This record gives sequence, C-alpha cells and structure tokens, in this order.
Amino acid sequence: MQTVKMVISGAVNAGKTEFIRSISEIEVVSTERRASDDTKHIKKETTVAMDFGRIAVSDDLVLHLFGTPGQKRFDFMWEILSEGMLGLVVLVDSTRPETFRETNRIIDFFTSYRETAYVIAANKQDRPNAWAPDELRLALRQPPHVKVLPCVASERESVKNILLELLYVIMQRSED
Amino acid sequence: MALVGNIRDFGLSDFLYLVDRGYKTGCLHLSRDEEKAILYFEKGKLIYAARHQGEQLGDLLIRQGKLSPQQLDQARQACNHGGNSLTLTQAILNENILSHEDLQQTLQVHTEESVYGLFGWPDGEFRFEQGQKPDPAEPIMPTPLPVENLIMEGVRRIDEWGRIKDRIPSTDMIVRFVEQPGEKAKGVKLAPEEWRVFARINGKDTLADIAQKTSLSEFDVCRIVYGFMTAGLVDVVKKPKPAPVAGSGQAREAPRIKKSLVNRIINRIRGM
Repeated sequence: MQTVKMVISGAVNAGKTEFIRSISEIEVVSTERRASDDTKHIKKETTVAMDFGRIAVSDDLVLHLFGTPGQKRFDFMWEILSEGMLGLVVLVDSTRPETFRETNRIIDFFTSYRETAYVIAANKQDRPNAWAPDELRLALRQPPHVKVLPCVASERESVKNILLELLYVIMQRSED
Repeated sequence: MALVGNIRDFGLSDFLYLVDRGYKTGCLHLSRDEEKAILYFEKGKLIYAARHQGEQLGDLLIRQGKLSPQQLDQARQACNHGGNSLTLTQAILNENILSHEDLQQTLQVHTEESVYGLFGWPDGEFRFEQGQKPDPAEPIMPTPLPVENLIMEGVRRIDEWGRIKDRIPSTDMIVRFVEQPGEKAKGVKLAPEEWRVFARINGKDTLADIAQKTSLSEFDVCRIVYGFMTAGLVDVVKKPKPAPVAGSGQAREAPRIKKSLVNRIINRIRGM
C-alpha cells in the first residue's frame, strides 16, 4: 500500500478542520476540547492536536491529509509534517486581515524549507466581508504564478476544486 | 463589498500598496476614537483626503487666500449648472479662477500632510468602499497623486522595529528587485542614504553585506529596505542553503512523483 501526503495549514480558525472534514472518507481525527488560550473566544471548540483525513485512491494508493495545529506552540510540528509531503494548501480566513501576517509566516516557513508545491485557499468567501482572492494576493504579496483560490471549506465541491488545483501544480513538477 | 479591518493588523502602508497594485477606485474610511478620515482613490491614485469631520477643501482654498468666497460661489454655481458631470475642480479651472498648477500644489500639500498624519495612528478601523466617489462639489486634485511616495514617507515615520522584523527577520537575507525597477522607481523620491542602499541591491548581497558596503547601520539598512519592500520595489529571500554533501545526511528534497500517480489521484478526487 502506497501512501502520499498533503498538508493543510493556516492560522487559527482559518478552516483547516472543516476543510479536511468536507473531503475525508473517515471521521476526521481531531481532539475536540475547549482550548485554554485565547482561541476559545473565537470558537466554541478548537483542535489542539493535528487533524487527519484520508482518501482511498485505489486498493494500493491512499492520500493522507494532515492539518497543522494552528497555535504557535505547535510550530515544531510543521517540520515533521512537511517531510515527504506532495503539496501544501494554505488556508486563509478571508474575513480576518489580522491573520494575514501569520499566514505569511506559514508560507515563508514551508517554502524556505524546500521547494514546495502550494496553493492559497481564500476561505469563507461566502461571508459578506470576505476579501476577494485578488485582494488577498496583493495583501499577502504573492507572485502571479501562485494560485490564490476562492474557497468555502464547508462545501465539498469547493474543497475538491482546491485539491485539484494543487494537484495540477504538482503535476507540472512531476516526472513522466 | 467593503474591505474592513484594523490598521493595527494591516497597516496603512500595506493598504496603500494594495490600492496601488489593484488599481482600486473607491473611498477608504478611517476612524479612531473620535477622529475620522477619508481618502478617495481613482485607479490606484489618491485624488482627495480629508482628516476632520465636515472639513471642506473649498474653505481651505479660501483660508489659504487662493480664492475668495465669491469666486468659490461662482465655481459652485458653474458646477451646479453643469450637472453631475462637472466637478468643482473642473469648474475652477474652466472659469480660470485658479491655474492647474496652483490648485494642484495647494491641494497636494494638504492631502499629503493629511495622509502623513494618519501613519502615526497605532490602530484604527478601516473600511474601503469600492467605487465610491467624492462629492462633485469638493475640489479634488486635478492630477491624481501616486501613492509610492506616500508609502515611503509613511515608512520613514515608522518607529516600530517590530513591524520591520516581521518582514525582515534577519540581516542574512538577500535583497533583490521584484521586477525591473525603472518604471516604478521613476515616481519614487529617495533621500541620499536611501539611494546608497538602492544602488547596492544586486540580488546577491545580504542586508548585512549592504550595511558593510554603505557604512550604514544594519537597522538603518533594514528600515530603508522595508520601505522599498512596502513600495513594491524589492523583496528579500533567504540565502540558499549549500547543497548537501552526498551521504552526509537526509537531503530535504521534495519526493519525485510520477505523473501517472498524480493522474490517479486527480481522477479519484474528480469522481468524489
């Protein structure tokens, strides 16, 4: 059985858990307990461990989705998770510009560590005060070749589109 | 759809960069406690700014002796007769009440000082209304103002080292031009020490190297380069790590994956 891995990252409350939950064939493995830090003011439950999801491609191939912990104290996990990953989805909460700086830090970490195929998912595009993907691209100062895509993590079709776009980027770097 | 946020988290310089690169037209509303400000942009350039509630730039022109109350009334009447298509600025110029240069200079100085004052706000709610245009009865600058110089000046006024460190975490990073700077650099006015740094950017030297070659402090070089970055002229990248020696340890290479395998995953996800 061959396994391949994609990492879903982003600042706290960017929508990582929901993203994986929308597409995973198994119940997302996450620890749901009330956080003891400031994140409890943002949402009622928050994960304090990694999210893990799975998609069976065939009998001999499985795609694993790993969500990075959002809190800064778990940053050490990024290096471990990035080992052997195919590509990265960076989720951004389009309604909270105060998280853009943290998002840049995440992108800088993963892309400085090694050559990384990644896309940016501008999540929560269904909210009225969401910044559009083009505006996010400028705010995050991303070059034109990086895909910044609209996303609603609770919608399966939207999540599928993000993963497919990442796979197209990976395809360009793969070998015959 | 309005862009909303707080300049504590997304600075005014960053927002001006977004407006410039996005060729935005609209109005940026800023508020902090009792203070309010509005900035109007047209295709990424600034055309009007007001800091105080009810401030009327027409009255500013009278206070500065540029025109009399009668002349302002004359221009406003011409504006009313022209319907919504004639702005006060056009009426002032058409009626030869003020020259283009005189009007531009007066409004530009006021506008620039209004914006520079905003860079001192440590926080403040912002809301950008796309497409919103100023009242035709207010005098806008005849020639819209590019924002690059506003950004550079705003950065000069930043004294928060922490904000610079966010973008430049180490002086061991290489500075390089984002694109050929020719066109963008034309609109930017630099101080002599800024030119010294600008001339040393070659895509190979680090900030520390530039500090050594220019005899400036590393802090000053970082501050100057931060200004260039905010204006969209340069970016910084980490020094490439030396290639690992064979057998020395685990190489951090992305796994080489075959197209056939990627295709299988694509087909699976499409079918979900």
